[in-house]
Amino acid sequence: MMEKALSIFSKVILYTILIIFTVLAIYPIIWLFIQSFKSTQSYLTTNKLALPVEWFFDNYPFVWTHGGFSVFIVNSVIYTLITVFFVVLLANMAGFGFAKINFKISKWLHGLFIIGILLTIQSILIPLFLMVNSVGLLNTRLGILIPYIGLGLPMAVYLCTDFVKHIPDELLESARIDGAGYLRTFISIVFPMCAPVSVTLAIITFTGTWNEFILMNLLTSGDRLKSIPAAVGRFAGSLGTDYGRLFAALSISLIPILIFYMIFRNQITKGVTAGAVKG
Amino acid sequence: MTIKGEKKFSYAVLVLPAVLIYLVVVAFPTIFSIMLSLTDYNGGKIFGADNLHFVGFRSYEWMLFNDPSKAFYTALRNNMYIVAVSVFGQIPLGFILAYILTRKLIKRGGGFFQTMIFLPNVISPVIIGVLFKNFVYNRDSVYMEIVRFFDPSAEFTLNNTPMIPVLVVILWMFTGFYMIIFLANMQRIDPSIIEAARIDGASESRVLWHIILPAMTNVIVTSSILAISGSLRTFDLIYVMTSGGPAGQTRVLSIYMYEQAFQGSANYPMANAISTVMVLISIALIIITRAVGNIFNDKEV
Amino acid sequence: MKRSIKSLISIMLVLVLALSLAGCGNAGSSNVIELRVLNYFSIANPGALEEVERVWDAFEAAHPNIKLIREDEFEEPFHFATEAHAAAGTLPDVIYCWPSGRSSALHTNRLLKDLAPLVARDNFGANFNSTVLNPDAMGGGYLAMIPNGVTATHAFYVNLEVLESVGLEPAKTYSELVAQVPILREAGYETILMANEATWVMQSCLMSAIAGRFAGEGWEKAIHAGTAKFTDPDFVAAIEFIERMYVDGVLDRSTVAVDYGSSPGLFATNRAAYMIDGDWRVGDFITDAATGQVLIDPVRQEKILITVFPEIDLPGVKYNANNSVVLGTGWGLNANLEDGSDKLEAAWTLLKWLVGKEVLTFRVDSGGLPVPSRTDIDLASLDLEPMQVAVANLGQHYNRSNVVIDAAFDGQVYTPLNDGLQALGLGTITPMEVAQNVQNQFEAWKAAQ
Repeated sequence: MMEKALSIFSKVILYTILIIFTVLAIYPIIWLFIQSFKSTQSYLTTNKLALPVEWFFDNYPFVWTHGGFSVFIVNSVIYTLITVFFVVLLANMAGFGFAKINFKISKWLHGLFIIGILLTIQSILIPLFLMVNSVGLLNTRLGILIPYIGLGLPMAVYLCTDFVKHIPDELLESARIDGAGYLRTFISIVFPMCAPVSVTLAIITFTGTWNEFILMNLLTSGDRLKSIPAAVGRFAGSLGTDYGRLFAALSISLIPILIFYMIFRNQITKGVTAGAVKG
Repeated sequence: MTIKGEKKFSYAVLVLPAVLIYLVVVAFPTIFSIMLSLTDYNGGKIFGADNLHFVGFRSYEWMLFNDPSKAFYTALRNNMYIVAVSVFGQIPLGFILAYILTRKLIKRGGGFFQTMIFLPNVISPVIIGVLFKNFVYNRDSVYMEIVRFFDPSAEFTLNNTPMIPVLVVILWMFTGFYMIIFLANMQRIDPSIIEAARIDGASESRVLWHIILPAMTNVIVTSSILAISGSLRTFDLIYVMTSGGPAGQTRVLSIYMYEQAFQGSANYPMANAISTVMVLISIALIIITRAVGNIFNDKEV
Repeated sequence: MKRSIKSLISIMLVLVLALSLAGCGNAGSSNVIELRVLNYFSIANPGALEEVERVWDAFEAAHPNIKLIREDEFEEPFHFATEAHAAAGTLPDVIYCWPSGRSSALHTNRLLKDLAPLVARDNFGANFNSTVLNPDAMGGGYLAMIPNGVTATHAFYVNLEVLESVGLEPAKTYSELVAQVPILREAGYETILMANEATWVMQSCLMSAIAGRFAGEGWEKAIHAGTAKFTDPDFVAAIEFIERMYVDGVLDRSTVAVDYGSSPGLFATNRAAYMIDGDWRVGDFITDAATGQVLIDPVRQEKILITVFPEIDLPGVKYNANNSVVLGTGWGLNANLEDGSDKLEAAWTLLKWLVGKEVLTFRVDSGGLPVPSRTDIDLASLDLEPMQVAVANLGQHYNRSNVVIDAAFDGQVYTPLNDGLQALGLGTITPMEVAQNVQNQFEAWKAAQ
């Protein structure tokens, strides 16, 4: 019954929904790239849908030089990779501890992390600045990385704990009967089994860190330690936006993350399937 | 080492690094910010100068009862719209999409569509905000250009419900996130159970209702918690798209808080009071979600 | 196994430490004075490309004993940096700031040095417009900064090209303006373009001037003193006038959906006969020094007049030909600099350079500063484009100045006004309700002081 109905009417609806989502996702990106080849003046004075009358290539070299991209990209990569590594590792460790090693305190600690998911970063900006400043880490990479890792943890710990909870106890018990300690069980069984959630976390953390700008701007001064969003901010202001250059800067900052996503997008499903077979 | 000692030691090694970093970076500043909400600090050096006095719940009273503009309640109402769209829009839609993709109800392009639906999640909310501001929130927006392309005489009409476009963008943006979560968990359901049911003559809708949905109850609760917290915190996208306008009609709590803390003359106690109340509301909603989830869990399992 | 985890973690920590330390250099030598500067800088600003060379490098070259450590910030990050430095007690020596508004914490907490003694000692005020060194116009009531310029937040841009194409002259009175609406509409033109999507625009660029016309000089003082209210008939009449502009079609209700970044493009493409904005907007129309791109080329600029809103020929108006004027941004010094110290002298030397003739001339020339605070800048000797000249002469079109509302009242008070003026455009509120909301917030604010 169901399948026959699906083959005609429902399928049209299904494909329509899927295609709408796809167009909504792709079109703005294409639009952005096209507009980045207009000068601000021609963007403002011509049809916003149209291709450039005259392709204007100066935005990219200008933005690259004056946006400080060559320095910022290196910083972005450093911040992002280190943050992703530690968030994924520490969240897996803590998730296993909370889910599978029985201590009463787990409940409380885990609850504490959940509260962390609910916080807005704006509310802790000033206290965080005071702390980073008082321990002398202002304007250092460590002074940015530690907050980044700390802010990535709540959601990561929450998802990891949830994931590890669903690993069958028998699997872990059998490992322990074989004489493996908790740490060994973590390394040889739990961590590999968490690959799906780790990949998801890595993507969430990667994009979050790559796009973060409030803390980065607050905790660093001067160009040496800033990351890519600082460059984007230079071309957008409340008193007049330099659209052509803004779009070029946005395009430059978007390309690496699109590449990253296109490379790892299959890992999400693959990782998930692998987990299913083992579990 | 004794077994008990090994247990304790392992627990410490596994849990402490995350807990310590978390305490330093998140928990301590949060307590600090709650303390600030009870003072009259309004800029300048915090310690060592006479800038800080304990004044009790003055900011809370003002925000909740005495503020004639009721700005807090307008913002809260908008946040609740977002919560509703997230819980009753993104999650069901994400679930349906995941279900379509797992059960291979469409023959072609599953992987492609999955990639596209999740795509908005990797793009910075700032970029999405800038794009949609140019796309919809503008008299001379791309959207209006499209409308005029088909109907040159079309006039821009003012929208009395400016939250709707925001909600649509939010629905579009985050549905992919929940789809991925459901997808991951649906694929963990043993395929042989479904096969067996199908061979026994169970219809697709029975499979959905009696096998997949019950297995997803916990995931739905988890997703709802993430959706609720995300909805209450949402900032970047709306700030870039509308800055809370027109006339404050799309102002949400985080924007209201931001205005108090960083625009005009700073009012940190008020800003921190807002964020404290935001956390309390989140906790309340999450407790309710869990309770509802438990009711279903008891019934289904 | 345990050991391997431990060592793994310690290796990671060492790695992170090494990475972070790798970036830390150490500066320090004997007789050089280091000055930390918080600068508001965006590459998108007119003249930004040359600023580093002509302002900062030039100063260091002329003063080899002073080394500048500059922190360039822009927009929101700038304000974060200021607030955070203030809270931590780590404010730089020389600070870019506003005379009140978003920098008010610096003024009211006296984090900026009182410059009056230094100005008096060096007779530094001689070449300045007397109004800019007025301590009462600053947030703390003392001379905490020296502004780069004076900002007229209202400017009435007239596009003669559009008017001539339909055979009209610039409207001299409000009635004439209303009469032009149907003619312009017939020809497909908007009457007045305004970017009302951002709520501050209506309040800052029009309402502040209109409030002066209806409520008279010093109206804000009367409200602060408690002898007048926002709900008094004269202030309400000013709000009613804004509503009337929408009703008469002088302003289209759809301007509530015109975003601030897009209005110059619309005005440059002759979509409207008039535009209301601030004097700073000229910088967006003139030639971009870096690319040579221009929104309105100098020939067409001859057809743009810059003046103030036409005479309002309605009962209740106390005077016309006014503007809303506020001190511009400028420079202050850290209050912790000790009197008589070398460091204070060095910082003062830098400040004098930053608001000196050479730097301000450069800023005027590059289009970033419509009206400088100095009186000794010879505009005629500069190669300015017609709109730059027009805006420099805006002062000839008005003979009274009023406050800008967001500089005269706290954010808590003007926010409901900003929101309310926008709601008038949407048609969802009455002028009296707006006034009542503002008055309520004002009384609440006052009670809390």
